[in-house]
Amino acid sequence: MEIELTAEQRAFRESCGKLAANLAARWHRGRGPHDIDPPVPDDASWARVVDSGWLAIGLSEENGGAGASVVDLTVLAERLGYHAVAAPVLGAVIAAEQLQTWNAPSGLLQDLTDGGLRLAPALGADLRGLTGTTAGALAWDAAGAEAAVIPATGVAHTLGDALPFADPTRAVRPLGAPSAGLSALTLTAPGDDAAARLGAFALSLLTADLLGTMQAALDAAIDHARTREQFGAPIGSFQAVQQLLADGHVLVEATRSASYHSAWAVDALPGTQALRAARVAKAFASRSAVEVCESAIQVFGGIGMTWEAPAHIWLRRAHAGRSVFGDEHHHQGVIADDDLQRS
Amino acid sequence: MDFADDPAEAAFRAGLRAWLRDHLDEHREGTGYESAESVERTLRWHRALAEAGYVGISLPAAYGGRGLPDAYEGILNEELAAAGAPASPPIGHIAHAVADFAGEELKARVLPGLLGCTEVWCQGFSEPGAGSDLAGLSTTATADGDRFVVNGQKIWTSGAMWSGWCLLLARTEPDRPRHRGLSMLVVDMRSPGVDCREIVLASGSREFAEVFFDDVSVPAANLVGERGQGWQIAMHMLAYERGPADMGWVGRLGRVLAAAREEVRSGRVAADAGLRLRLAEAAVDVQVMQWHVARSLAGRDADATGSGGSVDKLLATRVEQNLYRVVSDLAGPSFVLGAPGPFADYLWSRAQSIYGGTQQIQRQIVAQRVLGLPRA
Repeated sequence: MEIELTAEQRAFRESCGKLAANLAARWHRGRGPHDIDPPVPDDASWARVVDSGWLAIGLSEENGGAGASVVDLTVLAERLGYHAVAAPVLGAVIAAEQLQTWNAPSGLLQDLTDGGLRLAPALGADLRGLTGTTAGALAWDAAGAEAAVIPATGVAHTLGDALPFADPTRAVRPLGAPSAGLSALTLTAPGDDAAARLGAFALSLLTADLLGTMQAALDAAIDHARTREQFGAPIGSFQAVQQLLADGHVLVEATRSASYHSAWAVDALPGTQALRAARVAKAFASRSAVEVCESAIQVFGGIGMTWEAPAHIWLRRAHAGRSVFGDEHHHQGVIADDDLQRS
Repeated sequence: MDFADDPAEAAFRAGLRAWLRDHLDEHREGTGYESAESVERTLRWHRALAEAGYVGISLPAAYGGRGLPDAYEGILNEELAAAGAPASPPIGHIAHAVADFAGEELKARVLPGLLGCTEVWCQGFSEPGAGSDLAGLSTTATADGDRFVVNGQKIWTSGAMWSGWCLLLARTEPDRPRHRGLSMLVVDMRSPGVDCREIVLASGSREFAEVFFDDVSVPAANLVGERGQGWQIAMHMLAYERGPADMGWVGRLGRVLAAAREEVRSGRVAADAGLRLRLAEAAVDVQVMQWHVARSLAGRDADATGSGGSVDKLLATRVEQNLYRVVSDLAGPSFVLGAPGPFADYLWSRAQSIYGGTQQIQRQIVAQRVLGLPRA
């Protein structure tokens, strides 16, 4: 057993954090919903994402990737969550992984990783997972994307305008007509193991994004509690506030353990076991992220309820990340069915 | 990142499984502290585990341990739970305090008995006037030549009624600031002047006692570490007492969950959709706690703050109390009507947030030592 990030992973985390912070600084939430930037990165920002190799590292080497581990990818996802980055990195990474799992031609995958083609994953109307049918399908994390592919049909669909979505850092767009520019693909359905692994992959990335989001909210709340004074003392010296933040720390660290296990399992365990682990981790992260982000708003007091303070962005991202690829109720329902089947 | 066993860990696990397969039947009646018979069964289980080499596995081999990394304590817990075996003896915290602070002579004299489970130990910390505010304790150990003379009263002392030894925190330096005036002593419970009075818990468990010390003579050679070092040792010890694997919690909760699932699967208990979802939620919690404890054990040597135990205990408490609420709801009327076992188990789950430092004290430790929030 060796349950921590390696030195290389810690270095990668730091470099991801720098670029993520930089990207976040170029996105402005304005004075209110009326003048917030859309989550479409400008060309310079997207070029930096492409140059960083983030879109490529997870793919296999024959598809132009670096064959990075899922743990590596969750290191990236955690930092994207931490800085609430409004650029569709996870959407692009999950779409590429899905196409690779469906044996898409490597030329197409290389178009994705070099930024020439921007795709988003197509989810079912309930946002609970990747979908096989076009009806009601929604492209998630689709800002700036040209299309979303329904692998079962091989058809790439154009995308409509972004729907109202609680999380302003990511866009959800309905699928439209088949794309004129992208001809239908001939794809091969993955076997059960690979399909389960793909599900575990997406869940692990969302779990890591939620981990980063809740850590950011907790860190900001701790900073605020150290400096904000009432009754002549920092509010962070009051037991009621300390206890709220301590509970938040416990949830963050437990979620980190779950995120590590979930990511490790995608590469190390059979698909069904990895999917089970990923469901457990996503369920725990979903409820914990919302709880910690709510606590953070409580610590911020009235300021936390303003548009100007960042606390609502974390809470929005936590709720959206919780719903996407299934919230705790969905996954616990599946777990109940698996565990409690009459013998 | 590797949650899987390395070859040595796998071999240890396989050996343990084989031993449990061959020996668990002799201990099917289980353990407990409700009667003299159940206490005897408990001690017999502890001795059997120790003889097979499964007690104090992360402690030095020279004193009866096996010198294995902390991660092995996690494997031990997992396998005991998977086999439906009783928990391992809760002595990791006492053993670490002695092993990490006592002098060579004292270690050689007392650790083999502790780790071999041929001697039973208790921990004398809390007092009627010093619970959460432990540093305010008033039991004194007055230096007198080559001995200390102990006077005072301890409370909530687990196993005191049948212990041969007590690791006692007492005030040796009344003139120093209160945290620096404490020392840790190994006290022979058979000494003249030691008097134990049983405390029966609400659950019926007879594990606890009050212990009175009336001019009890303790050799100076039984001092653990230095005079005045008691608080430091106590904190070191509590970090282990709060580690869920050290105390056998992980295994116990895994067993409770597995039993609840089996009740539903077999149809013995009718669970509606709401209860099934709550049981799945508890299963998620227990699994995440197991992963967290594995990570915590694998990294304990690197825990700079030493407060990881508080995080783990807060998590384990949350998980345990939620699990027992679900289990009691699953039981329906039989939770209150019929055999008292389930209600007693539930009551004990409420103690989790009190002993070893209350939930509130643990949160203060995390807030101040880990998060760096200011003290009032």
